[in-house]
Amino acid sequence: MSLWQIIVKFLFSTLFLQAAWRTLWISVVSQTFGVIIGLILALMRMSRFPLLSWPARFYIWLFRGSPLLVQILILYDGIPQVMPSLTKYLTVYSVALIAFSFNEGAYMAEIIRAGITSVDPGQMEAAKALGMRYPLAMRRIVLPQAARVIVPPLGNEFNNMLKTTSLASIVGLFELTYTAQVYGSQDFIIFQLLLVATVYYLLLTTLWGYVQGWIENRMDPDRSTRNELLKQKGLAERLFGFGSARVGGTLVSGR
Amino acid sequence: MTMKAVDGDEMVRAEDVVKRFGHLTILNGVSFTVKRGQVVVIIGPSGSGKTTMLRCINHLEKIDGGRIYIDGELLGYRMVNGRLVEDSDAAISRVRSQIGFVFQRFNLFPHMTALENVIEAPIHVLHQSREEATERAMELLAKVGLAEKANSYPHKLSGGQQQRVAIARALAMNPKLMLFDEATSALDPELVGEVLKVMRQLAEEGMTMVVVTHEMGFARDVADHVIFMDRGIIVEEGPPEQVFEHTSNERTRAFLGMIREQ
Repeated sequence: MSLWQIIVKFLFSTLFLQAAWRTLWISVVSQTFGVIIGLILALMRMSRFPLLSWPARFYIWLFRGSPLLVQILILYDGIPQVMPSLTKYLTVYSVALIAFSFNEGAYMAEIIRAGITSVDPGQMEAAKALGMRYPLAMRRIVLPQAARVIVPPLGNEFNNMLKTTSLASIVGLFELTYTAQVYGSQDFIIFQLLLVATVYYLLLTTLWGYVQGWIENRMDPDRSTRNELLKQKGLAERLFGFGSARVGGTLVSGR
Repeated sequence: MTMKAVDGDEMVRAEDVVKRFGHLTILNGVSFTVKRGQVVVIIGPSGSGKTTMLRCINHLEKIDGGRIYIDGELLGYRMVNGRLVEDSDAAISRVRSQIGFVFQRFNLFPHMTALENVIEAPIHVLHQSREEATERAMELLAKVGLAEKANSYPHKLSGGQQQRVAIARALAMNPKLMLFDEATSALDPELVGEVLKVMRQLAEEGMTMVVVTHEMGFARDVADHVIFMDRGIIVEEGPPEQVFEHTSNERTRAFLGMIREQ
């Protein structure tokens, strides 16, 4: 079989479809937990109580300051050595989900904090003046406005996450990269299969780009201006992000 | 002015209020009362502490000394074993829900329409039904002349319209006291009138109001009582005729002279 025949054959194989599915769901679950952890950390970090803010600072410092690959290895190889009883819980899947979620939480914490900080303090004051308590004011008034600042970088984080999952290949999780490595080296078609994996990564990130644009567009309370901008952009520009800012790149709360 | 210890007519009673920011003393022992149904206007040069005083009345600023009573109840603190302890968020929020506050920069919620701005707190703080809150909100928007803008987002409204929505939003909580913090200072001159008109109407209906403003015409016509503040203290207070026409105070005269020249 020629190089192209092999690529086409594996491109539509259940083997790679399954691998792509694993990459996708691990990314979605990790990103979701990452956002939840990040929100909790951001609120802790902004607290005026040191008992809350310092643990959050420490967490962010620890997870942003050390390589994700090392965090994965500590969970998969390191912890079972010192705590053998935990070994049965540390499967390739749980290790991948824990490492990606916890690591992402640290990055999301800073993104969410920046988003909350970007909201005019007058908004919290107005909410308080109406008798709203902190959690209610946060949920109904501040976070919806912060979301417009948070979502574009969150989209980039998820794009990153789709590709970062390839690090799980180090512990033998059959996501796209490990699948290509294993089956490629067996039959000496590693180049072809890495290309197949690349096509799938591009497919996933491209589709996500569309979803992200749609979400950002939906979040604009006044969509007419955004839709006009969208119309002006060509297909290629929207797909590949050539030229001007990404769809929905600038999101500024009401003047 | 007579100062009785307990007076059922007193909506606001400030006693010797002190507020510091770092080493800077913004309020240096301010005492006054606002009677039910009264319109009290606070005037004074910028930096005199009048806005800070207003923000202390609904505890947006904590005070460093003195006491503030709202409708006979101590604000923001309670007595525990003879010591003052800061009140819980819940207790402070409950008091705030009864005091309307209108900000200089409107502070409407930009992600909500005018109507949604007005019904937000009645639904989530007073737990009114959406129908009930909407009905009342439409009445209030009509009252401030903006019924047809109910579904507009704030950035589609002029400053004057935004401020009128903000007043409707505050009124939707059925407050027993309204505080206005330079409500017209951020507006283009031609839009000031429409907001003052709404404020005048409220005063005529008997709303208890504390108004910080630079609009001397409004102060003269609407105020029952005028307080002139400078450098963190009350320099002079009294009925508008006294403060504006017959003041014997040098600083009041100098301030009013400066305003007239503008």
